[in-house]
Amino acid sequence: MRKLTSAGLAALIAFGATSQTVAAKDLVIGFSADAATLDPANHRDTNTETIIREMYDGILTRDPAMHVVPQLAESYKQISPTVYEFKIRKGVKFHDGSTMTAEDVKFTLDRIWEKGGLGDGQTSPRQSLLGPIKSVDVVNGDTLRVTLSAPWSLLPAMLPFQEVVSKAFVGKVGTAGMATQEDGTGPFQLVQWNKGDSVVMKRFDDYWGGKACVDRVIFKTIPESSSRVAALLAGDAQIIDHLPPYAVSQVNASGNAKAVFVNGTRSYFIAMNLTEKPFTDIRVREAIAHAIDKPLVINKILGGHAVAINGILSPDAFGKNKALKGLAYDPALSRKLLKEAGYPNGIKVTMDVTGPDKDTAEAVASLMAKGGITTKVQVGESAMLGSKWRTMGKPKTGDMYFTSWGNGSLDPQGIFMPTHHTDGRGNSSGYSNPKVDKLLDGAAVEVDRAKRAAMYEQAEAIAAKDVAYIYLWVPQDIYGVSKRLSGWQPSPDGRLNLVKACLK
Amino acid sequence: MSLTKLVERLVQLVPVLLGVSVIVFLMMAMTPGDPVQIMIGDQNVSAAQEAQLRHDLGLDRPAYERLALFIGHAATGNFGESFYYKRPVAQVIAERLPATIELSVVALLIALMTAIPLGVLAAVKKNSVLDKLATVGSLLGVSLPGFWFGILLLMLFAVQLHILPVSGRMGFATSIKPITGFLLIDTLLRGDPAAFLDALKHILLPAITLGLPMTAVLMRVTRTSMLEVLRQDYITFAEAKGLSRTRILIRHALKNALIPTVSVAAIETGSLLGGNMIVETVFGWPGLGRLVVDSIFVRDYPLVQAAVLLYAVTYVLLNFVADILYTFLNPRVKL
Repeated sequence: MRKLTSAGLAALIAFGATSQTVAAKDLVIGFSADAATLDPANHRDTNTETIIREMYDGILTRDPAMHVVPQLAESYKQISPTVYEFKIRKGVKFHDGSTMTAEDVKFTLDRIWEKGGLGDGQTSPRQSLLGPIKSVDVVNGDTLRVTLSAPWSLLPAMLPFQEVVSKAFVGKVGTAGMATQEDGTGPFQLVQWNKGDSVVMKRFDDYWGGKACVDRVIFKTIPESSSRVAALLAGDAQIIDHLPPYAVSQVNASGNAKAVFVNGTRSYFIAMNLTEKPFTDIRVREAIAHAIDKPLVINKILGGHAVAINGILSPDAFGKNKALKGLAYDPALSRKLLKEAGYPNGIKVTMDVTGPDKDTAEAVASLMAKGGITTKVQVGESAMLGSKWRTMGKPKTGDMYFTSWGNGSLDPQGIFMPTHHTDGRGNSSGYSNPKVDKLLDGAAVEVDRAKRAAMYEQAEAIAAKDVAYIYLWVPQDIYGVSKRLSGWQPSPDGRLNLVKACLK
Repeated sequence: MSLTKLVERLVQLVPVLLGVSVIVFLMMAMTPGDPVQIMIGDQNVSAAQEAQLRHDLGLDRPAYERLALFIGHAATGNFGESFYYKRPVAQVIAERLPATIELSVVALLIALMTAIPLGVLAAVKKNSVLDKLATVGSLLGVSLPGFWFGILLLMLFAVQLHILPVSGRMGFATSIKPITGFLLIDTLLRGDPAAFLDALKHILLPAITLGLPMTAVLMRVTRTSMLEVLRQDYITFAEAKGLSRTRILIRHALKNALIPTVSVAAIETGSLLGGNMIVETVFGWPGLGRLVVDSIFVRDYPLVQAAVLLYAVTYVLLNFVADILYTFLNPRVKL
């Protein structure tokens, strides 16, 4: 009997021992999604890109200040409005030990921009991210020349999104093989991908940029926010993404982890159906803008982790109109404007919103009510609301849409063009102003940076004056990090860049 | 049951599956949300590039053509390629299926092993404190939302007590080459008790969360049917014969009382499939439920269609199993 008891005890102790025997130098990222594929050319998913990017490098990348800088290129220059040249770095090794050449870089780009570039008649879903490429050529052995069919100043800003693959490796495993295998030049190499569960990587000791600090990096998929916070607090993860604002104080109070913040790239705004009454009247739109106390919502609902905006661009974006003055909070003026517009008793509207933004939208709605705009918040699923509002010129129904648009490229074109150009993909308001269209079209091909910035500044001023949208704020991205972690800072573009991260 | 009956039942599956295929296809096609727009995300694209993407996914064809293609291909076991994962749908589903089956089976076992004894005890000690506790417990079990109960368990066992892991199927230090895909079996086949224990620790909280509502239901069913059986004349007769209480309960009462429990269990196993979607999300369990939820959000038509079809087959088969079990336990019933 005693034997039995002690065996039972031993089992209990073994069972109660630390739940995860994680080696000291394993950096675990509690990440909200798994990779869709490991093939850099065959997806359109930001989370996938963040994961892949630890194993692959780009031709260009971004420094912590978000400037575009060379990575696998040593340097680059624009030769003419339609020609760019990239000098490719020497002595860079792929994970299989082979040396990367300009031919690999050419192959990488061709695989994306060419029709049928993936083989078997498949075209890369990333094709549109590379703009109007006409040809990619290797000149003098180590220089890559990219020729565009039309000027497209976005090219350098978009190249950090593409990762360089090995021509020989793709030839060997094919596009089917690339989905689950990798041979990049990045600081970490794939050990195992447990689909839906985790991507396990180990340090690549021959990394051209100096080897990483930790032995292994593990992206652990934890889709549920509360479970992600639990993993951080339990010490099972050292970094988690999308820390909900309400959990910030809990994490900071835990003693073993803290919340860190970085300015995001996603602008929040309210679209109004400009094709229908009452929003066709600018006084109504102004009334709505005057009814919203942005600082109050930012402080009380978003925990202070957002920056108010008066135009579509984020405060540190290129071409931002810094002189832009917003419509100040003044609910009395809102009611006055509504009266002038012929609505002495105010208006009743419905505002569409997706689940995650429901609380914020409700706070905004309660403020609007005080200004005479009685607003019913209606929750919908994102894909559904997307097709309801982003109709690209086709007729739309609905009153208002509390929404956002991300701008990973940090270039105004990525957000301004789709949301404000007539019939743009993300033009939920249905806004159309020929002057703005002309400025946006012109800026897209303008090579002179100063002129281009001036065009965006002007466009932003016109759109703000038209009250094309109710511009709200750019929230900060919030991460939870373990106090064991050092040498890591979050980045506005959502990249993790784990090469210098260390654990004690 | 004769072989012909069995074959007949299996043949009946065909129209059911065909119907399910058509309904799922139509539902996906009618649901607002465009896979191409979702895929492009917050980017600026030209109309030509967008059309190219639509063509590559086969979405430029009319709906009836896509439906015909889907059914034609599905009949040969080809479910096409996932829009999002860019690999054959069958392959993506096969990778996730063992995790879900393993979780469901463990949840089922936990439910049966707690519900039956508790139900019998509650019936035998009717109106006692234990009976009342069990009644309140089962009411809670049915009412508690899985995601909330799961997170409570996480907070207690993983964050406060540090004795169980937060998510996943296995720790990163342990790695087992799959044989069956079921980690609890594979670890034993590979002779690695430490890994088995690790897998067991991982599955415990999700399985309890998933099994809770089922435990509650089965307990109630067992209690009610046991009470009914205990009122029967043959039990009184057995008692009069002077048989021991235990013998009467197990040999005479339980076997008959279990008939409804077993058939309800088989049908409830089908409802585990629904619960899986929530539990797998909370516990980061890499199973089919989470895959389907994710796929619906990105409108991955081929994957959702195939997965729902699989659910339908499973559900129909489980009902079929329930019928067979029923005839087995109660020979008076014929299919």
